[in-house]
Amino acid sequence: MAAEVQPLATLKLPTVVSPITAEQRYWKSFKNQKSHTSTAAWPISHISFPGSSNGSAASHSLVAAAKANDLFAVTSGPRVDIFSIRKRELLKTIGRFDSEAHSGEIRADGRVLVAGEGSGKMQVFDVGTGTRAVILKTWHIHKQPVWVTKWSPAELTTLMSCSDDKTVRLWDLPSNAPSRMFSGHQDYVRSGAFMPDRNNLLVSGSYDSTVRVWDARAPGGSVLTFKHADPIEEVLPLSGGTTLLAATGSAISVLDLVAAKPLRLITNHQKTVTTLSLASNGRRVVSGSLDGHVKVFETTNWNVVSGSKYPSPILSLSVIAYGAGHEDRHLAVGMQSGVLSLRTRLSGASAEKARARATEDALMVEGATSKLAKIDQAKAKRKRNAVSNKSMALLGENVDVIIPTDATNSAGGRKRRVKLKPWQRDFREGRYAACLDSVLDFSSQEYQPVTALSVLVALRHRSALREALEGRDEVTVLPLLKWVIKYISDPRYATVCVDMAFQLFDIYSEYVGGSTELADQFAVMTGKVSREVEKAQMAIITNGMVESLMIGGTEA
Amino acid sequence: MVELRTPRKTSKATKMDANGETASLKKRKRELKEETTTASQKRQRSKPTKTQPAANGTVDDTADSQESTLFENKDLQTTNGDLELADASNALTTRDTSAWKVSNPMGGRMLDIDPIFSLDERYLLITYNTSIQVYSTEDSLLVRRISLPVTKLDSGAELSSPYIVASALSASTPDFLWVACSDGRIWHLNWTTGEGAETPFTIDVKKVLDMTVESVDIRDKQEDVLFVLQKFTKSSAQIVAYDVKALQKKAGKLIHTYDENPQLLRSAAGGRLIVAAAKETLHIGTLKSKGKTVKSVDDLEYAFHSFGVPDLVTCLDIRPTLQTTKKGGVEIQFVDLVIGCARGAIYVYGDLLSKLPGNVTKAGPIQPRKLHWHRRAVHSVKWSEDGNYLISGGAETVLVLWQLDTGKREFLPHLSATIENIVVSPKGSSYALHLDDNSAMVLSTAEMKPTTYISGIQSLVLSDKPSKESLVRRVWRSVDEITTPLITTSNPINPSQIFLCVGNGQQASSTGNAPSTPLLQVFDVSSFQGVGKHPIARTNPTDANMTSQGAPIIEPRVTKMAFSHDGKWLASVDEWQPPERDLEPLLTGSKTTCEVSQERREIYLKFWEVEAEDSSLQLVSRINEAHFTTQSETILDVVSDPISSRFASLGTDGVVRFWSPKLRRKDGLASTGPEGQQLRTWSCSKAVELPAYGQLEEAVEVSPKTPRSGALAFSEDGSVLFAAYGPSSGAVVVVIDTATGAIRDTIPNLSRGEIRGIEALSSSLILLSEDLTVYDIVSDEMQYSFALKETSGAAKQMTHLAVNRESRSFAVAAPIPNSSQEKLKKGAKSELVVFSVDEEVPQLIQTFPQVITAILPSTNSAGFVAVDSAAQIWSITESGEQAQMLQPLADINMEESKALVAPVDLAAEDGEASDEEMQDADEDVEMEDDDYDVHQAVVAPQRLAEIFNAAPAFAMAPIEDVFYQVAGLFSTRPSTI
Repeated sequence: MAAEVQPLATLKLPTVVSPITAEQRYWKSFKNQKSHTSTAAWPISHISFPGSSNGSAASHSLVAAAKANDLFAVTSGPRVDIFSIRKRELLKTIGRFDSEAHSGEIRADGRVLVAGEGSGKMQVFDVGTGTRAVILKTWHIHKQPVWVTKWSPAELTTLMSCSDDKTVRLWDLPSNAPSRMFSGHQDYVRSGAFMPDRNNLLVSGSYDSTVRVWDARAPGGSVLTFKHADPIEEVLPLSGGTTLLAATGSAISVLDLVAAKPLRLITNHQKTVTTLSLASNGRRVVSGSLDGHVKVFETTNWNVVSGSKYPSPILSLSVIAYGAGHEDRHLAVGMQSGVLSLRTRLSGASAEKARARATEDALMVEGATSKLAKIDQAKAKRKRNAVSNKSMALLGENVDVIIPTDATNSAGGRKRRVKLKPWQRDFREGRYAACLDSVLDFSSQEYQPVTALSVLVALRHRSALREALEGRDEVTVLPLLKWVIKYISDPRYATVCVDMAFQLFDIYSEYVGGSTELADQFAVMTGKVSREVEKAQMAIITNGMVESLMIGGTEA
Repeated sequence: MVELRTPRKTSKATKMDANGETASLKKRKRELKEETTTASQKRQRSKPTKTQPAANGTVDDTADSQESTLFENKDLQTTNGDLELADASNALTTRDTSAWKVSNPMGGRMLDIDPIFSLDERYLLITYNTSIQVYSTEDSLLVRRISLPVTKLDSGAELSSPYIVASALSASTPDFLWVACSDGRIWHLNWTTGEGAETPFTIDVKKVLDMTVESVDIRDKQEDVLFVLQKFTKSSAQIVAYDVKALQKKAGKLIHTYDENPQLLRSAAGGRLIVAAAKETLHIGTLKSKGKTVKSVDDLEYAFHSFGVPDLVTCLDIRPTLQTTKKGGVEIQFVDLVIGCARGAIYVYGDLLSKLPGNVTKAGPIQPRKLHWHRRAVHSVKWSEDGNYLISGGAETVLVLWQLDTGKREFLPHLSATIENIVVSPKGSSYALHLDDNSAMVLSTAEMKPTTYISGIQSLVLSDKPSKESLVRRVWRSVDEITTPLITTSNPINPSQIFLCVGNGQQASSTGNAPSTPLLQVFDVSSFQGVGKHPIARTNPTDANMTSQGAPIIEPRVTKMAFSHDGKWLASVDEWQPPERDLEPLLTGSKTTCEVSQERREIYLKFWEVEAEDSSLQLVSRINEAHFTTQSETILDVVSDPISSRFASLGTDGVVRFWSPKLRRKDGLASTGPEGQQLRTWSCSKAVELPAYGQLEEAVEVSPKTPRSGALAFSEDGSVLFAAYGPSSGAVVVVIDTATGAIRDTIPNLSRGEIRGIEALSSSLILLSEDLTVYDIVSDEMQYSFALKETSGAAKQMTHLAVNRESRSFAVAAPIPNSSQEKLKKGAKSELVVFSVDEEVPQLIQTFPQVITAILPSTNSAGFVAVDSAAQIWSITESGEQAQMLQPLADINMEESKALVAPVDLAAEDGEASDEEMQDADEDVEMEDDDYDVHQAVVAPQRLAEIFNAAPAFAMAPIEDVFYQVAGLFSTRPSTI
């Protein structure tokens, strides 16, 4: 039956330069960098916040506790600094270590902190009250430096430690001796973690290049061992408890615990990967390396979706989540140079406010009051709509039929017929010259080169290009020429521009003598084209050289 | 007349091989074989035919009796002297008694003849090029197809084949239909039973141009009188009146002769008025009432007046107003006439009779009222029932309603194709439109909503009459021949559906150098209805279809199409190049417009996801330049892997590309659709450059500009791809390993001339060029080869090869070479030959009265489906198969049922609304009930659907079984209703 009038479809051009993706935009939105240099520029060795090992496995009380928590711990040299997540400020410093401190970890309820140190001591501090941290407990069982101390995500009083004495131990807070000792590593154990969702499983990575999985219930050695080529710097279990990441040398290996086999080796870093962290509720993994790069991976195919570069080798990083939704709040990166970089992402309402403020500020500076007024109007309208929607929503509770207003019908209402834009109507009704004028107008609000290209290609398909270009005077032909000059060097636009240039030459070359402007523009175009020709020739020459090299290579 | 060719294997040994050790091994093997010499091979190969008579006499019989006009027979006497040369006239009938059968054709193309409403408006009678088809207006289903033997099978040499010129409902007995054919045959059909197709009346004329039927009082009895417009001499024509008696005597009453060549004849008011239109003149004839009763047609006397009209007449409509005379008779009070013209104007002549010069009361200048909106020819114009409106239509695809009092126009825009005919129903409550895309619809006049839609197969046809557009010289010329094959494929998951690439109607698609076919028609052969149309190339039915210079806008042409093995993906190739008339300013240097146009050619390879439920298509990937050198190169072939979702394409750049799907990634992330489903995209997974022939044999120098031809075929297990490619001076078959992309082997000298098709069937490779060659890949030797007769360029395009893997057979179809005809125009015939792959004796040789435009294997059954240039579908099946394809079940059931069961049961038997039989049945048992209600009350339609849709039509159970199943459904019905 009678078909509906469709507006002219815009062309889809092949992508040339990759545009900024949503993911990149997200990671770029970590802004407002705040740098904090540690005392005496000690390298930042560890950053942690409660629930960083994923709260999904934790019991309800722990989750509730973690929600209330506002602290994260940064370990550097013989100190552990405690910061506020909300205020991004240093709250207190714990300096009661005999030697270098390692792995300052705050418990999920935010009350106590555990840290190991170079001497082999492990200490538990009270961080909840007072400005000075009180030592609650000290163990000195490990005879070698303790590198990892971690709280169990399931039980408040359980924690683990990994040490250079090649052992992994499990501790109960009240008792003085470890409740379990796992031995089997052949070298320093420098990383370890509890497996989420599997409370009795621990995992550790050592300089003997193995990742071992331990079961607290099973006697004896490790239940699973993965051997790698390089020392393990960091292990990170993913939520779900079946997949494990291990940083080995400059690569990250993805291990499947169920199938007991490595899935994949991610080799995106150039130097040793020192740290790994979960982000976006476990849907992304962020890695930091000695090459100074932070890379963000997605967790299905392990593609890099974003990345950034820091000035110094990265020793530690953490994506600190905050609030009920566990939204990413800070990207904290600790570097060899002793600098802690905190980048913060504003979320939700606060972000919106900040944006609005920024635009208003900018306009205020420019003094463009009319635009300000427009923004105010739009704001008022939005508010009104929101109010009317709200009243509708209230009505909905006791009326049967809700008649949607303009703002509400877009969601579930019937499809509204799209109104044709002026240039689309011109095109449909055969006023091709007028249509071309409006789409080629640079100064127009809606100007988009691809729209212009779509129209030109459609004109070619409709054998109407010449008709659209003919019969113009000096004033109306110049925009066409300028457009051609601007885009003739873009390969995606070249064919259409060339056709158009031919047609323009054919129609208007006889008037060049009478119009300097026209002559100038034609000269500019000729210049641009000849430059392109030179470039093409250079490319051909280069290609020829490369080809001869390649042939030489294959023969050799 | 099968000529056995010497197997060509001589050059094997001298062949250079591109790939290492395995090739050299093979080479040695071949050299060994070479020692047995070609002569002995020839002996070997020709042995079967010699020994067959002894072994099996019947096979020899068929070999003797079969004869193909396709293949050359010059060597026949020498190789096989005992074969008889059959005389030339017997070329048309099947002389084959073997297992293969050809069904009756179905479908056809609606002619430019007004569709006819039955008086109760329940049926629409549409005149097709080879049949009359009766459709129910309630459910758009085919009730009856009355096949007419229009093309006489014995008139083989005649080129101007006859065609139907007019059809009209009998005015006195509305169950009958008069159909006139151009060669003077006139059928008197009972359309409610289908009787009368076999026994036409014949009148002795040069050519019938038009015919109308009126009911005239003859001896106080209403009888049909036919007014026939017939050609008299080259530049004059006659109107002759016949009644049934006169038809039997072949002698009618000459009413009028003119010196012009009129093309239209209309009559009104019981024969009191006849109007004939000749170019720019109208002839009006009024019946002279002598006051005495008319005893026979010889008593009919007419007074004729003629006057000039401003333009060429393309259509006209008369609206007489009658009044009762004092004596109780009827006479014409006044007549309104409207004519549509070739340049788009419509002229209205109100109260025409009073203005004619012969009229004494008030003679004046005949001044029509002009209505001009149409840009091109008015194809049809009609009065509305009340005379207040005019309805007109044409190539603008807009139905225009003119309100005559106010001059206001109303439009029903954007119909699917040119409006060819408009008919106002007898009660005036609906309009029937016939559109150029072989469809017809009934619109209700109140809401202008379609109530009936009949969509036939939309392939290009060779039409009998030139279009009304061509009366005026235009800046473009429409094409009157078919130069490219119909691109068609069958749906692997729904075997009853075939997909055809079609245009926006016949006229719109034949405006460029090649037909523009931007649409894909999904056609269901079991219900014989078009299921839907999808645009697969650029087309916009809502935009004007011509430029401001009056040239038509050329749309792309789909050149290749292939389904993936599971039917989930469709690959299509479409081509477009700017018309040369646009390119004058773009000429530089020594380039010709043709080259410039080629440079700007747009060739797209598109991959579509097919929705399983409704066969709708979703574009997944578009590859702009799948094959390219310095410009886009033609894609010669696209084939699908029979095992996995993969396609292979071959272009004139000499590269074979493999295309496979992968998950669509957006910035490294798998992107998902709105329902979270994973999206896929197609990309080139492998590219294999074919060795040029010049590299193989240094002696042959081929310039890169020589046109190349080529084709692809996957082996049945998908492990090997055969690519035949090269210039016509020597194409090479390259064997490619699909897993690695390595070239395993190259086989030269298998073909002669242009490659037209290649197929693989088990270990045999079937290559169609100017030879038909069957080559065994495993034993590396030629099995047999035939040479095709020399044909014209267009005929080469129309040579088809199709393979049916089920029956292990292949079919070759080609136009029969005709020395008197360069192009494939009306009258050209085709021949189809079916081979079993193991035997070199053809299984079936069949001549078709039209050119076969496409042939495809039927899915899931052992047979082929052919589409011809009259838009008919033929099914070619092995008779072991129960292939009652495309038969309107109404006909079959009725034939058989009369003998078997009481007619009451039959009437409701077929779902295809055989209400007509119901009527018959009802009369038999003297029923008062409305048959339709009974029909619905007894059996739910879905019960019938279960039986009839259990399998596609051609794979259905024997018709007898179906009958008993249906009868079973109805047997519970009390017989006393």
